[in-house]
Amino acid sequence: MNAISVRALAFVIGLMVLFAIPKLTGNEYVLALGISFAALSVLSGGLNLVYGYTGLLSFAQVGFFGIGSYTAALLVTEQNWSLWSGVAAGGALATAVGMVIGYSSLRLSRHAFAIVSLSFALLCMIVARDWVSLTRGAMGIPGLPAPTINLPGGMRWRIAQPADFYYLLLGFAVFAHALIYGVVTSRLGRAMRAIKLNEPLAQSQGINPLAYKLLAIALSALLAGMVGGLFVFYLTIVDPSIFDFYYTETMLIMVIIGGPGSFWGVLASSAVLTAVPDLLRFTTDLRMVLYGVVLIAAMLLFPGGLGGWLHRRRVARWRQPRVAP
Amino acid sequence: MFNMRLTVAAAAFVALAATGIAQAQTGSIIIGASTPLTGGVAHFGQHARWGAELAVAEANAKGGALGRKIEIDFQDNRCNPAEGVKSVTQMLSEKKYAAIFDGLCSSVALAIMPLIERAGVPFIVANASATSIAERSGVGGNKWTFKVNPTDASMLDALVGWLDKEGKAANIAFLGEDTDFGRAGSSGLEAALKKRNQKLVMVDFFQKGTADFTPVLTKIKARKPALLALYAIDADFQNTIRQWHGLGGGVPLTGRVLVDQVPKEIMASGFLDGTTSVQPYDPSVDTPANKTFVEAFTKKYNVAPMLISFESYETINILIDAIRRSGNASPAAIRDALATTKYRSILGTELEFDANNLVHNNAIIFAIKGGKVVIIGMSKT
Amino acid sequence: MRPRGRSVDLNFYAQLLLNGIVIGVIYALIAMGLSLIFGVLEIVNFAHGEFYMLGAMCAYFLTVNWGFGYWPAVLIVTAVAISLGCVLYEALLGSLRGESFERSILLTLGLSMVLQNGAVFLFTTTPKMMATGLSYSNIIVGELRLPLSRLYALGLGLAAFAALYLTLYRTRVGKAMRGVAQNRDAALMVGIDPRAVSRLAVAIGIGLSGLAGAALAPVYAVHPLMGFSFVFKAFAIIIIGGLGNVSGAAIAAVMLGILESLVGGFLPLVMVDALAFISMIAVLLLRPQGLFGRGVRV
Repeated sequence: MNAISVRALAFVIGLMVLFAIPKLTGNEYVLALGISFAALSVLSGGLNLVYGYTGLLSFAQVGFFGIGSYTAALLVTEQNWSLWSGVAAGGALATAVGMVIGYSSLRLSRHAFAIVSLSFALLCMIVARDWVSLTRGAMGIPGLPAPTINLPGGMRWRIAQPADFYYLLLGFAVFAHALIYGVVTSRLGRAMRAIKLNEPLAQSQGINPLAYKLLAIALSALLAGMVGGLFVFYLTIVDPSIFDFYYTETMLIMVIIGGPGSFWGVLASSAVLTAVPDLLRFTTDLRMVLYGVVLIAAMLLFPGGLGGWLHRRRVARWRQPRVAP
Repeated sequence: MFNMRLTVAAAAFVALAATGIAQAQTGSIIIGASTPLTGGVAHFGQHARWGAELAVAEANAKGGALGRKIEIDFQDNRCNPAEGVKSVTQMLSEKKYAAIFDGLCSSVALAIMPLIERAGVPFIVANASATSIAERSGVGGNKWTFKVNPTDASMLDALVGWLDKEGKAANIAFLGEDTDFGRAGSSGLEAALKKRNQKLVMVDFFQKGTADFTPVLTKIKARKPALLALYAIDADFQNTIRQWHGLGGGVPLTGRVLVDQVPKEIMASGFLDGTTSVQPYDPSVDTPANKTFVEAFTKKYNVAPMLISFESYETINILIDAIRRSGNASPAAIRDALATTKYRSILGTELEFDANNLVHNNAIIFAIKGGKVVIIGMSKT
Repeated sequence: MRPRGRSVDLNFYAQLLLNGIVIGVIYALIAMGLSLIFGVLEIVNFAHGEFYMLGAMCAYFLTVNWGFGYWPAVLIVTAVAISLGCVLYEALLGSLRGESFERSILLTLGLSMVLQNGAVFLFTTTPKMMATGLSYSNIIVGELRLPLSRLYALGLGLAAFAALYLTLYRTRVGKAMRGVAQNRDAALMVGIDPRAVSRLAVAIGIGLSGLAGAALAPVYAVHPLMGFSFVFKAFAIIIIGGLGNVSGAAIAAVMLGILESLVGGFLPLVMVDALAFISMIAVLLLRPQGLFGRGVRV
């Protein structure tokens, strides 16, 4: 067996274990952490695509997440749409909004995009709180029903138990990460990285930076919107706190620790940062202080994060002269 | 390589979680609490915690319940349903909690309700204000949820009834925060006024954390209402009251005015004379039990109790009373005992849960006269 | 719906205008420093609002716990904030160079998380009210009213603007600062030390923020989250005014204050909150360099 097939095997086994967890343990808290991880990792994976690979700092992820949540919740409860069509509509709306923000601000600069994305996230919160006839305001939309999905072969799957949501969200997360992985390892991903490293040079090679930037934003918005739409049915309520700035801080920390531009690094840091603070029962005040310290330290000392560190180590190993024993 | 590590991590995870499961029936009786200890409303979460912990400490000083010690564990929820669900799921999965307490924010409490129903653990709400909590509870709904604080609608009806009797229920303007608290206030007032063929003459909402209210206060002043119903708490209340004074508003306030938190200079100036307010609680209520509570609370935490601390204190007392009557402190027995609660409130009335598992304690109507707060009546909610 | 009668109407508008000017000058105090730091270092300081909060906290403890008067407190807090600015530059911002816009945001976001949550931990979120004789005195002219504490804040804001303007245009160090803002390499070549100039810019920027906190401690309730909402508005203002353009930021701040007050006099208050962001997006789309041109003129 060569190295690649060992990896593939380990990957498949890892996935099988993740999907077997509900059978292995009846503990709902483990499932809750798994669901949290699935949702947050899709958000941080999307942010990684936009910031880590393409170099655009975005505060808009939480806005897309919330837009997808509200759209799906409203369409399913008020228009009797099915879960999938509601979620797809949420993702589509988030994508459309993302394109508008991206196109209008990126014509100016990356800097403008960062600031506009921030204002967009804050505006989302205002709309959710105060456009009561659309969003029902601060009360949110409680009591979201357990959705039913039509499976191929005429089966119907009623998603009511935490284990159902665990399968659903984990399944979606696997799809989302596969999509992101496909993009970042393809020609598209290389073009994105080229733009991040040196935009004028990339442009001189015939790459249209705006198109690739918009693609990254659109994909991250689509995935964030869709995962939001699925996640709120697990919570059974959507309210304006879905736009909490705290999510943005958490996502950023996940990407920075994992290493911007490192697919596996960000996935790992998302898992660790979902589980560890909860298992250790950190006081949240101090957790946020600690996150801040970590952010500062990472920016000053290891801008590459975990992924960057692993990469440097690997490069160093390649460079070591190989001496026969 | 990496996936191996992930697998190991997942396995470690399962093992860690499993250790928490099922403590024996002896040992302490543990109450699980989820409340905002960080974020914008952490100040209230802190008071909720203090009130609850005081009640637990007092019960333990009297020998606990059923010969066992009582403990209360707090988890943070940031006033965010996602965090609320996670914290309560964690507590429920450990299966050692006899009951779950509060949530504080309505959206969090609503998100907790399906979880505790599935797990069959009683959930007792002290502070969340949404009417939909009680509407979804009790007969025909969620039998495991109990709510102790009165709804805004019933309190405001009492207040407007009193205003109407005095001929003051006309020409009321409304300013409130754009949260469930403020929204419930405006709809409650609208409903109470409508019954008396009146309506709010203007309605405005602000975002929590707004610093400058002078634009909207100038507008309200120019509109010359007879009363301004104010639904602001915390820093927002301090800012509005001071800026209203600075602008020489000249109109008394009404609604859920925090009469105990008005700066003493403004109170003494007589600027707010004619103000009326309705609250489920005030530290100045003159019953021996309340005096003892205020004294004990102030001594322990160096601040006076407020509404939130009182509601948490009473709610935990009601819960402990139910635990004592439950016989075995199992969640189901506690639920049944809660349903038959007859508890003497420290404000003097006897409390029971209605068909919606909601308690109707008295609301207190205040007035400010000659620079002083006076209680002008207690009204059934 | 509206107040009747011509004189009432006039008074109403005059009061809104007066409130708006005060709000605008308060915004300007915070936005000018943010803009100066961006102009010289090309850094967006996310933690700017936290220094405003710390200034207000500090002023509160100085007056309430240690018995200082308002003016001595303002002076002390400003001096402390200026020194903090130097420390901030030496410890954190000085290490950022060149194309580090995103890193600067993340770094200062981290700092903001530390300061804000640290303040919550130390001081709790209980609002503190600085009550001095000043807090409840009003200037009343006809129907117009202005609290004395706001008048002082207005005066301090105007004085700060004048001082900053004179420093930038009339002193050698100010000219050096503008030189670095225009062209860092060229400034280096003519013998300006960019580090010294950057350090000074951060010190002045943070100093202004501290001054704003001290000046506003008697005006607004003091609590750990008070800086958070202000800083987003300040971002919008410096974009509207032209990134790095200090006078532009000051003018945009006053315009926004007046506009917010007038809009707030007629429309729901939430519209006022959205106004800064909507104006910013409109300016970015229609006049991306900002209303008053971009950063080369600090």
